[in-house]
Amino acid sequence: MKRFSTLIWLEHRRNWMWSLPLLGSLLFWAWGIKQVTVMDVGERLGIRAGLLAGAIAIGTLVLCIMIGRIRSETRNGQYQVLLMSPPSGYTHISARFTYAVGVGFTYYVAIGFLFWWISALAGIHFDARSLVDLILAMPLYGMSVGVFPLLAYTLLLMVFVSAYRISGKGWIPGVVMLLGTPVVLQWIGNGMTRILWTLPSWRVFENVPAAVYEQFGQGEGYEFITSASELDYTGLPIEPMLLMLALTVVFLILAGRIWQEVEA
Amino acid sequence: MLAKLEHVTKRYVKNEGLRDLSLDFPAGEVVGVLGLNGSGKSTLLKLLAGLLFPTSGTVTVFDGAPRSKRANIVFLGENDALWPWMTPSDAMKFMSNLYDDFDAARFTGLLDSLKVPLRKTKTMSRGERGRLRLAMALARNAKLYLLDEPLAGIDLISRESILSSIVQEWHTDETILLSTHEVAEAEGLFERAIYLREGRLALDVSAESLREGGKSVVDTFREVLA
Amino acid sequence: MINDKGNWSIDMSAGPIFEQIAKNVHQMLARGALKPGDKLPSARDLAAKLNVNPNTIVHAYNELEAQNVIEKRRGLGTFVREDAPVTGMKKDMLHQAANAYADEGRQLDASIQEAITALKEVWDVG
Repeated sequence: MKRFSTLIWLEHRRNWMWSLPLLGSLLFWAWGIKQVTVMDVGERLGIRAGLLAGAIAIGTLVLCIMIGRIRSETRNGQYQVLLMSPPSGYTHISARFTYAVGVGFTYYVAIGFLFWWISALAGIHFDARSLVDLILAMPLYGMSVGVFPLLAYTLLLMVFVSAYRISGKGWIPGVVMLLGTPVVLQWIGNGMTRILWTLPSWRVFENVPAAVYEQFGQGEGYEFITSASELDYTGLPIEPMLLMLALTVVFLILAGRIWQEVEA
Repeated sequence: MLAKLEHVTKRYVKNEGLRDLSLDFPAGEVVGVLGLNGSGKSTLLKLLAGLLFPTSGTVTVFDGAPRSKRANIVFLGENDALWPWMTPSDAMKFMSNLYDDFDAARFTGLLDSLKVPLRKTKTMSRGERGRLRLAMALARNAKLYLLDEPLAGIDLISRESILSSIVQEWHTDETILLSTHEVAEAEGLFERAIYLREGRLALDVSAESLREGGKSVVDTFREVLA
Repeated sequence: MINDKGNWSIDMSAGPIFEQIAKNVHQMLARGALKPGDKLPSARDLAAKLNVNPNTIVHAYNELEAQNVIEKRRGLGTFVREDAPVTGMKKDMLHQAANAYADEGRQLDASIQEAITALKEVWDVG
């Protein structure tokens, strides 16, 4: 445990500066939200939600860049120091992943708060339970489905490339993985749609449809929302989350295993 | 046998390699690994450290694969480095938490005797960085020390104090392999001198027996490798 | 390479180090830089000072012990014996130097008178 926490400390000292672009991103999008002055409430909400979608994507990108900095470490000789240290590859990989998840979770919770803000500005109010769903459950779900596997995949790719660096053929696994990714993603997508909705879903935002209906259901153009029940809202499907978590674990284990095989 | 190489060949695309090298290293020896650039000195040490794997042949350290024994091996590489923001106190935290055999009190003493400034490494000169890393290496209680060019690019005074520290900290059951170009200064430390030429063993001999013949390790270097 | 630390002088090309260390002790005793009963540095300390392997110093000390020049006193260290043959050493060292000088003189076909004269001339200068 002491070793793991020391590696986390190392990750923090190495990477704390990456929190700055993330903070900057939050401030930028918050500013952008205020700049949206479209008259129609629904449209305004829609545009702002779109901006936050951009914030989510930027955050993911920054996190992947942060976690993938193994190449510069290899060049500067620090990777050798890590390889010669007692903790196993699995411990090193876990520490990097955990730190990135910690930073990412903070970021996405903050975005959750921004969603709450833009909804409040649009007159949609969340009850306590739904607020918790918005600020905690959504980031967790979203990270499990999108960010975790991407981070783990980036780690795996970087370690894989480093493993071949000395033989000069580092580009081969890089190419293999980049070409293979669309195939894998397609396979996952197909698999997901087929098994969807078999397991019980995660019932978040139980009261939000009603709140949305309250705000928008009476207005023009929103006649299609005739009743909250007709929204047929069943919650978030669990299958994609479990699948992506499993994939994350697989990538992390592979990355840890390959770490043991890296030459430096 | 503390460590051994059996018919080890290491092939590279662009770096130095080793060809069919077999060597035994018992406990308690201080060995000089000598050779020109590209002769395979670093490769030999890295194979023993488990940072490289042989193309063919076996490397055994403490009766096992070197990488799996890294908690008992000290490797001081020519190119390994600390993070630029690290201070000696950060290094102490890193080492004492990750290594069970790290002696923090000895580390502090070595920082003092090697005159390592207590600042971030990015503000240190090359010699100061080298001395810091040496302090980290010598503060550990391991049985096998692999020092790859610990004197390279370091000023004369630092070299003297580095060699002196190595002598002070060495215990008779520990084995040290030290590769260096500064053969003249370091020669007194070696009981055994291994000369590598183009990846092969050119000579493996006791230093004092060379001197019995009236030749220093340096003189022999010129003879064997020129 | 010659390693000269005050009283200790080692030339890596001039034979085994342990022999040179032993010889240094002889020279120091002959010169009076070391006296019977004096304590010698520990093997490790001397090794660190000269940047040589401690085993080499141990070898040298063993050799000197066999020659009855020094002795190990348990718990206290290594000391020059009270009965170390100092006068003999001085004589031996002079003889050794004289031998070398004599060889040189014979090679140059000089007479003993010429050798003595030359010696007198340089004696006070050096």
